[in-house]
Amino acid sequence: MEALQKIAKEALASKEAAFIIGYARVPGSQKTRPFIARDEAEAGQLVFDEYCQNNLAVYLTRIARPKEGKMGIVAKSCDVRAIVALLQENQIKRNEVYIIGVNCSGVVEDPAQPLSKENLAGKCNMCQAPQPAGTDTVVGEAKPYERADDKVGKLLAQLDSLSPQERFAFWEAEFEKCVKCYACRQACPLCYCEQCIADKSQPRWIESSASVRGNFAWNMIRAFHLAGRCIGCGECSRACPADIPLMLLNRKMGMIAMKEFNYRHGSNMDDPTLVGSYNNSDRNDFIM
Amino acid sequence: MNYYITTDEKLRELVRTLAEQKWNIISADKQGTRFMYINDGKDLTVDAKARPTKVSAKQFVFPKSEPLFFFKKEHDDLKLIDPQAVQQKTVLFGAKPCDAAGLPIMEKLFNWDYKDEFFNKRVENTVVIGMACDYTDEYCFCTSVGLAPDSEKGSDVFLVPGADNHYVVKEVTPKGAAFIAEFKAIFSEAAQGDIKAVSRTQPAPEKKFNVDEVKNWLDGHFESEYWSKAGETCLGCAQCAFVCPVCHCFDIVDENCAADCGRRVKNWDACQFGLFTKHASGHNPRETQPDRYRQRVSHKFKYYQDKFGETLCTGCGRCSRNCAVGIDIAEIVANIPM
Amino acid sequence: MANENFEPKITCFVCNWCTYTGADLAGTSRLKQQPNARLIRVPCTGRIDPVFLIKAFETGADGVLVSGCHPADCHYNTGNYHARRRWIFFRELLNTVGIPESRVHFSWVSASEGKKWVDVVNGVIDKVRQEGPFEGYKKINNEFALPEEVEV
Ligand code: SF4
Ligand code: SF4
Ligand code: SF4
Ligand code: SF4
Ligand code: FES
Repeated sequence: MEALQKIAKEALASKEAAFIIGYARVPGSQKTRPFIARDEAEAGQLVFDEYCQNNLAVYLTRIARPKEGKMGIVAKSCDVRAIVALLQENQIKRNEVYIIGVNCSGVVEDPAQPLSKENLAGKCNMCQAPQPAGTDTVVGEAKPYERADDKVGKLLAQLDSLSPQERFAFWEAEFEKCVKCYACRQACPLCYCEQCIADKSQPRWIESSASVRGNFAWNMIRAFHLAGRCIGCGECSRACPADIPLMLLNRKMGMIAMKEFNYRHGSNMDDPTLVGSYNNSDRNDFIM
Repeated sequence: MNYYITTDEKLRELVRTLAEQKWNIISADKQGTRFMYINDGKDLTVDAKARPTKVSAKQFVFPKSEPLFFFKKEHDDLKLIDPQAVQQKTVLFGAKPCDAAGLPIMEKLFNWDYKDEFFNKRVENTVVIGMACDYTDEYCFCTSVGLAPDSEKGSDVFLVPGADNHYVVKEVTPKGAAFIAEFKAIFSEAAQGDIKAVSRTQPAPEKKFNVDEVKNWLDGHFESEYWSKAGETCLGCAQCAFVCPVCHCFDIVDENCAADCGRRVKNWDACQFGLFTKHASGHNPRETQPDRYRQRVSHKFKYYQDKFGETLCTGCGRCSRNCAVGIDIAEIVANIPM
Repeated sequence: MANENFEPKITCFVCNWCTYTGADLAGTSRLKQQPNARLIRVPCTGRIDPVFLIKAFETGADGVLVSGCHPADCHYNTGNYHARRRWIFFRELLNTVGIPESRVHFSWVSASEGKKWVDVVNGVIDKVRQEGPFEGYKKINNEFALPEEVEV
């Protein structure tokens, strides 16, 4: 904690960073939330521990860019993946961000409970390297943690074993709950379009009504626009007030990226994006 | 006021009877996500100890999408077709005080200038069976906005948990009295005190601020520095407005039904969306997210007061409990530098 | 679930330069084809946003066919390569939400392949006829059906 605060204070003092996007404790609670530190005193409020669930990379495309200095950001390794993805997609430049990497020992699923095997965020289960790479500096220590059941993977396997009609009925019941609040979009570090297709009205491709049909269209297109891009942070499904298992679709798309292209978005900032590129030898067997 | 007694088992029986008579029956779901239609007594969830559902019950009087009319092109003419009339009798089970109170609060808005017949019809057709609440967490603040865990505002019939799965039943409105009379077998008469209500196991939510002081401050601090920090990390999703039992903004859009016909629909909308106030010219009077967050707080604690003399908040804490970035409206209001 | 009396509605998205021209050739060559397909001409398969396919189901299609120039033949050089990559994801996504492969078909048909076009279209129509009406989507489309008419 002190190391993190010290680095943040120095970065602000030297004007390396204009502000630091980090986590601060919610008063009277162990929970944390995003916090933007702009001066030394505020940098003293920054924390990092297992209650830091949020993927802060979402702010890099939402917050006003400073005229001078970089955007500082505290990033665990999964957040770094989102940052690298944004670099790959040309949304930010490497010299616009000052990345304070934090070694991570897993974060909680339910912030009201302590970290345990049962209370481990789904993304940590899938995490490949809790130590962030390619950051400007790193603090803290990554302790090994016990992985839990892969609930999303299990549910997906179950879903895949159903008939198409049963799958359709499953999603009909799920999407019926959607209220079209677009929290899934706003919480996603990779949903940064200035004008989302859901907001376009001429023509209106995706009905703005929260009808089951409009919700199908929205959720399918959201998942598709993240295909080969989603870095699996789970923020969309955490933000969803209707508890729709959005990660099933994201995971499926991630699995296809892996299976067909051996590709993981946000792994290397020099990689071309998957759906933005092509290969002559791409799979052709499903085309008559 | 008349008192009655009923039990969990009897309420399930009531659900079965209502289902036979083709009532719409609404109950919280088992996961605590939202309210939904049920048809079977075993799906009834009436639980004073439960956390308020993530999404409030408002969509049963103010649907997330409601067709206002349909239109069809016929030769050179346009024919208008009314939607199916709202007439189904409806009962909402187990509304907490912070859910039930939302109805009379929203009623003011929907009857202020234009009388919204869709909303009014739905409210008229709905019997609200409210329930005393025995839950408190750090997000609850009903006591700060003039309500309490045993407020009957908005309920037609009110349940208070008693010993051995019994409920003390109070009839609150004539509509509630008529409902109880119609289903006599479920509600046995009792005198007040026949059955002891079990006392709350949870402390009542602490009072976090004083609405009058807040209103006074808001009157003069539109341009306050406070706002720039208060809404800084807001992502501009509208989850907070959509789960809220009293947020009532809507947008009216036309949609295609088929090549020659369409419908005009009233959809939920919210002030946290950047598009909400964006003009056709591209100008946006609420340019930044803090501007929008200020609107959220001001509408709830000042403008609605100015116009209707009520606070546009029941203190349920849903918006804050669900906010992905931990923005807590009660904390922000309580921290106002008054 | 063979349904002999059911006539499916197939929406086809075809690129202007190859498949559309191929379909045209089928017509001028007087090749016979079943009448269940409706063609929508787009400049290139690269222009086919997956949201078009969703719209097709929303407007009552029982099946969809997407077709364009063979690899290396795209009028804009790479449109079909980009499209193919998107389809690899999109058809899996559709399958996951319960819109199976039997309702979503892809083909490469060149301007000279009038015969192939007829075979492809007939094959898709037969397949979807066998699959039966798309009840799932029909149900959710129903919300948009005009109510019993009460005149105002
Ligand atoms: S789609 Fe969901 S899981 Fe994927 S990057 Fe966006 S918020 Fe994270
Ligand atoms: S967050 Fe959930 S309810 Fe909101 S739009 Fe996304 S899927 Fe729908
Ligand atoms: S306050 Fe929270 S829930 Fe509301 S719009 Fe902002 S981020 Fe979304
Ligand atoms: S503003 Fe928040 S606490 Fe108040 S009624 Fe709405 S959801 Fe509940
Ligand atoms: S022009 Fe036919 S696929 Fe591109």
